[in-house]
Amino acid sequence: MINSVRILRNEINTPTVNSLYFKWDSHAEPGQFVMVWVPGISEIPMSLSLTGKEKCLTVKKYGDTSNALSKVEPGERIFFRGPYGKPFTRVKGKTLLVGGGSGMASLRPLIDQKASGVVAARSSDELLFKDLFAKDRITVATDDGSEGIKGNIVDAMREIDLEAFEMIYVCGPERMIKSIVDFVSNRNINMELSLERNMKCGIGICDSCSIDGFQLCTDGPTFKLSTVLTMKEFGRTKLAESGKRIWFQ
Amino acid sequence: MSNSDYSTSVGSINLSNPLILASGILDENGYTMKRILTEGAAAAVTKSIGTDERNGYKPPIVAVDDPIFINAVGLPNPGINNVGEEIKIARESGKPIIGSIFGKDENEFINLAGKMEDYGVSAVELNLSCPHVKGFGSEIGGDPILVKKIVNGVKGSIKIPVWAKLSPNVTNLLDIANAASDSDALVLINTVRGMKIDIYSGKPVLSNRVGGLSGSSIKPVGIRCVYEVKSNLDIPVIGVGGIESGLDAVEYIMAGATAVQIGTAIWKYGRAVFTKVLTELNDFMDSEGYGKIEELRGIALK
Repeated sequence: MINSVRILRNEINTPTVNSLYFKWDSHAEPGQFVMVWVPGISEIPMSLSLTGKEKCLTVKKYGDTSNALSKVEPGERIFFRGPYGKPFTRVKGKTLLVGGGSGMASLRPLIDQKASGVVAARSSDELLFKDLFAKDRITVATDDGSEGIKGNIVDAMREIDLEAFEMIYVCGPERMIKSIVDFVSNRNINMELSLERNMKCGIGICDSCSIDGFQLCTDGPTFKLSTVLTMKEFGRTKLAESGKRIWFQ
Repeated sequence: MSNSDYSTSVGSINLSNPLILASGILDENGYTMKRILTEGAAAAVTKSIGTDERNGYKPPIVAVDDPIFINAVGLPNPGINNVGEEIKIARESGKPIIGSIFGKDENEFINLAGKMEDYGVSAVELNLSCPHVKGFGSEIGGDPILVKKIVNGVKGSIKIPVWAKLSPNVTNLLDIANAASDSDALVLINTVRGMKIDIYSGKPVLSNRVGGLSGSSIKPVGIRCVYEVKSNLDIPVIGVGGIESGLDAVEYIMAGATAVQIGTAIWKYGRAVFTKVLTELNDFMDSEGYGKIEELRGIALK
């Protein structure tokens, strides 16, 4: 079933990221995603970056579909199906949200009074949603050192007492997540990670996004750290659009 | 589960139960097939593999509105030379892997079948029926002369069993079934050509516009096809199309199916559909007093 709703506003977040706000009554939870269809172009998976009555899609421009989507104006329709996927597990205590690149989009619904953030990007102007955290609860890293720590997301995490949080939520590209998993693998922490892979159907049948026999779209995209640690394919190999096995560089 | 014996065999291939993962669903990645086989399926058919690497169609590749399920995935596959690793991983399950192949003509099918045999599959399934890719599938599967050439050509070139998957999108199924009757089993049915238009955008949903309808909507078509073929030909038939419950499986088996394949139902029930169907099959056999799958087979034909 394809939902069709009109956009209320289109907000520019960074030079390459926009957020589309809309009303949609269906229940959705942080970590879930929708398959967004731009008729005549293609269909792409996108995390919901707000999950209350007002919902939001945060679009990183990287191809034809996302470029077209980022230009949708208030009053125009967007088309999508979902919500799909397993949400993040919610906790009552202190949380740490770790987002690289546009990964902060799916973590945004988890931002509250008890949340601290680690936001990393290539440069200052690409840091997403860092201003939504209280000033004393945000750690920033940029590759070029234009803001915060000069370094990657793990360099930023070294500055933080990870054991102090009841849950650490992570979202970003697989290579970045791999570096985080390697960093924390022997530590006694609760962590859930939202993974990204090529996705086509979104409903657990096409096998494009699978990793170690788990379908990212239905078993994930959120996984517990303990599950990710069992995955032989994680950070190592994945299937290309054709199904050909390729290795991460 | 109790006394029932679900084991069955399709020719020389022994199956611990009659449930096989259908081609096209969760069978691109070797680790996925291995997991499904560990979680209840007795065998798995790979995604259809051709000579060259293909990306398939751009999304949307599915149009779903329960119970309607239409797909046009477009035969994505890594090419026959790149699929050996996936089959090797899937074979670690210890259960039979069936290599599905598609091609334009007899020679291409023969070449693909030979390579599948080298990879150690237990049988090949000839995809003579993909309904949404030009030049392959249905255009071949609707031509009895070509079907006979391909089936007999492949049959003469490899030692492992050859299954032929046929399309319901033909005028006379029996003509095609007869043409394919030298195969070791017929697999009935592939999807039924269909289409979905989104009325708010006024556009076809699938990027390929036309796709194949599967799931519970097509079960009566599948039952009819199995029944029709089994009424006229003495050849093992594997039933596929809309099996979501143990009772659906029983219906196919009573129509004469030796085993059944499950695909689209994974959309509704996840990989757990195999244990669900098996439990329901067991309950039916218990309550109706059947001890073996064999006792159910083809009883509607008598």
